[in-house]
Amino acid sequence: MSQPARPGASEALRERIPDAETLVRLLDGSDYLADEGLATALFIALRLPQPLLLEGEAGVGKTEAAKALARALGTPLVRLQCYEGIDASEALYEWNYPRQLLGIRLAEARGGALGEDELFSEEFLVRRPLLAALEHPGPLPAVLLVDELDRADDDFEAFLFELLAESSVTIPELGTITARFPPAVVLTSNRTRELHDALKRRCLYHWIDYPSPEREVEIVRRRVPGTAQELAVDVAAAVQRLRAGDVQKPPGIAEAIDWVAALALLGVTRLDAAAADRTLGTVLKHREDQELVRAGGLEALTGG
Amino acid sequence: MLTLDLPALAVALSRRLHAAGVPATPERAARFAEALTLLAPVDGPRVYWAARVTFVSSHEQLPAFDRVMAEVLGGDRDFADTRGDSAAPPAPAAAGGPPAEGSGGEALDAEGRPGGPVIAAIDAAAGPAQGPRREAVLTMASSAERLGERSFAALTAEELAELRQLARGLAVARPVRRARRTRRASSGEHVDVRATLRRSRRTSGEPVRLERRRRRRRPRRLVFLCDVSGSMEPYTRASLQLLQAAAGGAEAEVFVFATRLTRLTRALRGGDPDAALARAAALPPDWSGGTRIAEALRVFIDRHGRRGMARGAVVVILSDGWERGEPAALGHEMERLARLAHRIVWVNPRKAAPGFAPLTGGMAAALPFCDAFLSGHNLSEFAAVLDAVGDSPTARRTTR
Repeated sequence: MSQPARPGASEALRERIPDAETLVRLLDGSDYLADEGLATALFIALRLPQPLLLEGEAGVGKTEAAKALARALGTPLVRLQCYEGIDASEALYEWNYPRQLLGIRLAEARGGALGEDELFSEEFLVRRPLLAALEHPGPLPAVLLVDELDRADDDFEAFLFELLAESSVTIPELGTITARFPPAVVLTSNRTRELHDALKRRCLYHWIDYPSPEREVEIVRRRVPGTAQELAVDVAAAVQRLRAGDVQKPPGIAEAIDWVAALALLGVTRLDAAAADRTLGTVLKHREDQELVRAGGLEALTGG
Repeated sequence: MLTLDLPALAVALSRRLHAAGVPATPERAARFAEALTLLAPVDGPRVYWAARVTFVSSHEQLPAFDRVMAEVLGGDRDFADTRGDSAAPPAPAAAGGPPAEGSGGEALDAEGRPGGPVIAAIDAAAGPAQGPRREAVLTMASSAERLGERSFAALTAEELAELRQLARGLAVARPVRRARRTRRASSGEHVDVRATLRRSRRTSGEPVRLERRRRRRRPRRLVFLCDVSGSMEPYTRASLQLLQAAAGGAEAEVFVFATRLTRLTRALRGGDPDAALARAAALPPDWSGGTRIAEALRVFIDRHGRRGMARGAVVVILSDGWERGEPAALGHEMERLARLAHRIVWVNPRKAAPGFAPLTGGMAAALPFCDAFLSGHNLSEFAAVLDAVGDSPTARRTTR
């Protein structure tokens, strides 16, 4: 192989997560029910270690997976929400100019002077998410979530390469900062555009599907404590019907959870047409979708 | 539990995946072997997931990947058993009869504005785009006067090459939008503190002059949706040249449709235009089939447009509007698209035919949502398309 051998995961991480089953248990303990595929993907990503690119329909729990991973590891989650035009000063670091100016003034007032080294020292450095993730003291890695990477410009992807490959960044005034404990990197994309091949090459890839109805019932009951089994089953079945149907925006797990929570709030114990009518807005967010489902009959949706 | 010769397995699997169209590289194979060592003891599902996470890099590769894995691991076990049914495509709407005659003649004057905005666009063209674009139009007028009047339905190879040349003008014709990023400028809305501070060092820490930044401007995204059904066949060759130039030069997203939608962007990019066209021709299985425009638009909006591809973009639809489905459905999809896109340009080569009126059901339903309606059937009309794609105050709809 042309590339140097990877350092491998840290000792602490290997002890904490010896196998995939342990990771499933830990994720379970932090209220995230991962199926075997996702658990395997996260496990391999942690232990190789290699960044993991998660794709899937909106609302299948891509972001939630990263959050749960951080909870499972007991380390901070550093989240970088991407948007069009995001650049290094917003993602990595920035100098605190107002403080620098004040520092210069203060030094002058005291009759001293502020040298360049002092001016560009860590004291005046504003740490943005990427730098914060690299400087995590360890020994378990922080989780770096680069959310909705497809929204950022493609040159931002190129900027991420050094970080993903070397776990280091270069700040001209300070030099190269290398992470002692490289963060576990999770990238998510909604596929508004194709990500660059070079980026995909550096990542593991996992496509998250909608969960099976049984698993969705489990997830919903876990996230809305005290939900009756029947109500959760009803909602899971109705949500499955909506996804199979012709709606523009099929409901994700988040919508199913919202729906159950809303129904529970109203004191509903079984989903029927009347209850669905009152709460349809929690699961379908488009007027056209609501009209479509209402035209098809809410009884058909609730299976009643 | 299996006992495996890991490197051999990784290489063998890599070969089979590659043969099945999943781009497996030695690097990925090595990663796969490494992942398997982490997962010991190894069983079928673990091999499946380790391979999927390391070899697959896109959702589209999953069917081919699953096929290979079923062969390798034996049986038709479906390890991804959590998969919901939602991925299954909804039953296609039944195709209707022949295109119905509608009564939307007035819509042409109200929204279509044939010709008018084009001239205005040429006059109003401003900024750096003016030079090259003018030049392109003038070159065309001098060297291709004869060609200019000939319909694209009957073009020779040389003429196609000339069309390709002209289509390069798309790259400069794209309208711009304000980007979020800024650049240094002598006058601008933001104060550049970093540059101001740097400069103030020359004046002993006194910020004498404020450096400023202003928003950059970026070209808007271009999206081409091209009808390649039977009724458009005479124009398909010419359209493909245009699409290739658009995808290669103007970084446009390109889709073709007849009965279903195919994304051609990837196939059409790359240096050699002829190779790109050959790649593209190998792709869509339904060249010269029937047309279901509404369905194609719906799939485009749901899968790509709403997720961001059409937002603020210039969408160019090349079609004769002969919709086999329900015209009302096309109107509905056009309305959705109009809410997302910056402008919609509809290019219909049949518009040039004497006595043409946009009365076919589909075209009449779609017209109210088009910002420009052009024929683009020969080179001079084609130049008008370039102008309609570009921004100009008079061509912009005021309602948005």
